Amino acid sequence: MLWTLLIAHLAGIVVAGVAGRRGIRAGLAAAAIAPAATATWAISRLVGDADPATAELVWVAGLDLGVSFRLDSMALMMTTLVSGIGTLVFVYAIGYFSAGADGGVRFPTALLAFSTSMLGLVWADSVWTLFIFWEFTSITSFLLVGHKNTSADVLRAARRALMITGAGGLVLLAGLLLVAEAAGTTTISELGPITGSSASVAAILVMVGAATKSAQFPFHVWLPGAMAAPTPVSAYLHSATMVKAGVLLVAVLSPAMIDVDAWLWTGLAFGVTSMLWGAIGALRQRDAKLILAWGTVSQLGLLVTVLSLGSGKALFAGISLLFAHALFKAALFLVVGEVDIRTGTRDIAELGGLARSMPIAAAVAALAGLSMAGVPPLLGFMAKEAAIEAGLGLSGPERWIALGAITGGSVLTVAYTLRFWIGTFGPGPATEVAPRRLAMTAPAVLLALAGVLGYVFAGQVTDIVGPAAVEANEKASVYELIRWPGLKTAFVISIGIVAAGTALGWFLSARPVGAAPRTVGADAADETIEATLRFAPDITARVQHGSLPVYLATMIIAVIAATMPFFASAEIDHLVLWDRPLQAGLVAVTIVAAATGAVVGSRLGATLTLGAVGIGVSGIFVVHGAPDLALTQLVVETVIVVGFVLGFGSLAREFPRSSESWQTIRLVLSVISGIGIMSALAFAGSRPTGTAPIEALTDEAVDVGGGKNVVNVILTDIRALDTLGEVVVLATVAVGILALARVRADEVEAAS
Amino acid sequence: MSISLLIGVGALTSIGVYLITARTLSRIILGFVLLGHAAVLALLTAGGPSGAAPIAGGDAALANPLPQALALTAIVISFGLTLFMLALAVRQQTLTGDDLVEDDLEDQRIAQLAAENEHEADR
Repeated sequence: MLWTLLIAHLAGIVVAGVAGRRGIRAGLAAAAIAPAATATWAISRLVGDADPATAELVWVAGLDLGVSFRLDSMALMMTTLVSGIGTLVFVYAIGYFSAGADGGVRFPTALLAFSTSMLGLVWADSVWTLFIFWEFTSITSFLLVGHKNTSADVLRAARRALMITGAGGLVLLAGLLLVAEAAGTTTISELGPITGSSASVAAILVMVGAATKSAQFPFHVWLPGAMAAPTPVSAYLHSATMVKAGVLLVAVLSPAMIDVDAWLWTGLAFGVTSMLWGAIGALRQRDAKLILAWGTVSQLGLLVTVLSLGSGKALFAGISLLFAHALFKAALFLVVGEVDIRTGTRDIAELGGLARSMPIAAAVAALAGLSMAGVPPLLGFMAKEAAIEAGLGLSGPERWIALGAITGGSVLTVAYTLRFWIGTFGPGPATEVAPRRLAMTAPAVLLALAGVLGYVFAGQVTDIVGPAAVEANEKASVYELIRWPGLKTAFVISIGIVAAGTALGWFLSARPVGAAPRTVGADAADETIEATLRFAPDITARVQHGSLPVYLATMIIAVIAATMPFFASAEIDHLVLWDRPLQAGLVAVTIVAAATGAVVGSRLGATLTLGAVGIGVSGIFVVHGAPDLALTQLVVETVIVVGFVLGFGSLAREFPRSSESWQTIRLVLSVISGIGIMSALAFAGSRPTGTAPIEALTDEAVDVGGGKNVVNVILTDIRALDTLGEVVVLATVAVGILALARVRADEVEAAS
Repeated sequence: MSISLLIGVGALTSIGVYLITARTLSRIILGFVLLGHAAVLALLTAGGPSGAAPIAGGDAALANPLPQALALTAIVISFGLTLFMLALAVRQQTLTGDDLVEDDLEDQRIAQLAAENEHEADR
C-alpha cells in the first residue's frame, strides 16, 4: 500500500503539472487528490487497529542499502497530519491564489513534491532513506520559498533556507552514520541504546541536524525569511510539517539516545534558548505572519526541550504537543493569509477592527490562539499540562531547567498570542475588507474545530498520540490526556502562566507598535554564504588549474609515494643478474632505443625508435619463453608505427621545446619514479607467497580446455568473457577513430 | 628475479614518465607506449624466471603462463588506447594546426572567476 500511495503521489505530480497549464487552481485541485486519498487511508487505519505496514526495495543487501519504509503508530500519526493538513492547504491555496496567478505548473507540482518527500521522511525506516527524503524536503522547500522568484530578497531568503537546512542535513548524515555504526544496524526501528564517546558525538551531530531543520537558535534565522513564501506554504511547510521533521527525529532516535547525556544537554540548550528567544522575537514583530513564525521557533523549542528529556512522560507530552501544534499553528497561518488577501496588509499597526468585519476568521484565530496559549477547553491545554507534568516528574538539575523554561516560554507564548489577536482583530480604525472566499475559510475552520474536538474526544486523541509515543518509549503507554485535572501542581502552574501571560500581553498590546526589527544573525548567515561562494572558485582555481602535465605529475608523485612501503623490506638475496645473458643484451638495446626516442628532435625519428623499442621488447619475450606475447607485440608494434607515420606526416617535423624549470622537474620525477617502481618490484619479489601454479594450469589446459598452448587456453576458455570484452574495446576504438578522423569543414572554421 | 629485467622496467618507466609530462600530444603518446611496455615487463618479471614456452607436453621447465595471459590483455588494450590517442592528436592538428595540450577550457573559466573575485576584493 505504501508503494501504491507513493506512486499515486508521483502520478499526481505529473497530473498537477498538466492541469496546471490551464491555471493554478486546476493544478491545485488535481494535486489535492493524492494527499486526500492518503489522509483517508491513514484515518481509516487510525480508527482500526492495524499492524505496521512496511515496504522495502533492496539495492545492495550486504550493505543494508536500499529504500525501506515502515508505517508504525508514529508514522501513521504524522501521515495523518502531513496528508490531512496537506489536503486542506491545497484547498485553501485554491482560494488564496487568484485564477490568473503565475506558476500554475510550478507551484502545485512543487507543493505536491514536498508532500511526497515528507511522507517518505516520516515513513523512513533506514537511516539512508531518512536522509534522502530529509534532503528532498529541503530542496522542495527552497523551490516553494522562492516561488515569487522576481524579488532579490525572496531569492536570498530561499537560498538561506536551503543552505542552512542543507548543511544541517550533511551534519545529520554524519550523525546517523555514527548512530548506525554504534548500534550495529541501519534500521531505525531496531536501534538499541548506544553508549560511548562516539555516541556522544553522534548525539550532538544529530541534534544539530535536527536543530537546523526545526529552526532552533541559532539556526532559526532562515525561518522568518522563509515567510516570503506564499501563506499556504508557510502554513504547511513552516509550521505544520517540515519544521516538525527535526522534532520528529528527536523522538524517533530517543530510544537509541536514552543513555547519552550529550543528547539531553544539547537538546535542552537548543530547545530552551529557542523557546525564549523565539517568543521574545514574536513580541517584537509587527507583521502578523512574522509573529507566528517567531512563535513557531519558540514552540519548536518547547518540543525539542520536552522530547529530549527522553522519559516516557516527556515523550507522551512531546508527541501530544506536536499534534496540537500542527493543528492550531496551521489554522493561525491560514487566517493570517486570509487577512492578508482580504485587507492587503499583515501589519498589526495598520490592521484593526477585523473582529466585526471578519467574524469567522476572528473566531478561528481565537480558538487556535487559545489552544496555543494552553487554555481549556482546547487540545493545546491538555498537551501543555502533560508537558508541565513531564517537567515535574524529573529529578536533578534538568527538572528546574525544563520547568523554568516551559513556564517562562509559555508565559511569553500567551503574551504574543494575545498581542497577535488584539493587533489583528482587536479595536482600532476599521480596515476595509474584501469579500470572503469559502475555499480559504473552510480549511481554517476545520483545523480550529479540530482543537475543540480534540479536547472533547480526549480519549480518542490519546489513542492516536499514545501509541505514537510508545514507539519512542514504551513507558509512555500509561499516560493519557486529561480534560480537567483538578487543582494539582501542574494546573496551578498553568493558571499562573495564563494570568501572567495575559497581563504581559495586555500591557504590550497597549503600547505603540515599534519599527519592525531585523532578524539578528540573518545578515551574518547571508555573508557566510556569499563568502563561501567567493572562496570556492579561489580554491578550485588552485587545485584544478587545468594543466594536463601538472595533473599527470601529481598522479606520478602519488604512485611514487605508493612504492615507499616496499622499501621497508629491502632484500636482494633473490636477485640474479639475468635469466639468460641474451636477456641483458636485449634490455640494453631496448633502453638505448627508448632513450634515443626521448631526446631525438624529429617526430619521424622518434617513431622509428619506438619501432625499435617494440622489437627489443618482443625479443625479451622470446627469450623469456613467451612466443604468444612476442608475436602479438610485433603485430601491434607494426600497426602503431604505421599509424604514427601516417598521423605525424602532417604534423610539424620538430618537437617544440619546453621551459627549463619544467624540464628539470620532469627529469627529477622520471628518475625517481623509475627507481621507485624498479625497487618496489624487486623488494616485492623477495617474499613470494607460494609457488606458481604452472603444473596445475598446464594440466587444466589439456584436460579442460583441450589445448596444449596454456596461454591460449587461459584467454579463450578460462577468461573467455574478458577476451570478448577486449574485442568489444577494440571495436569501440575503431569506431571512435573513424569518427575522429572525419573532420567537417565547419568544425575547422569553428576551431580557428 | 632478473636484475636485467628490473633495470629494463625502471628505465622504461623513467623515460615514459619523462615523455608523458611533455606538452606535445605526440610525445605523450610515445611515453604512454613506453609505460605500457614497462607494465608488461613488470608482469613477466613478477611471474617468475624465464623458461620454455608454456606448451604442454615438453620436458623442460615451463615459463609461468599466467602473467603472459595477463600481459596479452595489457598489450591489446594499450594498443587500442594508443591508436585512439593518436587519432585525437591528428584531429587536433587538423583543427588547430598543432598538437599542444591546452589548459582545460572549463578550468580556465574557474580561474577567470577567481581572478574577478580578487579584483572585486581589491576595490
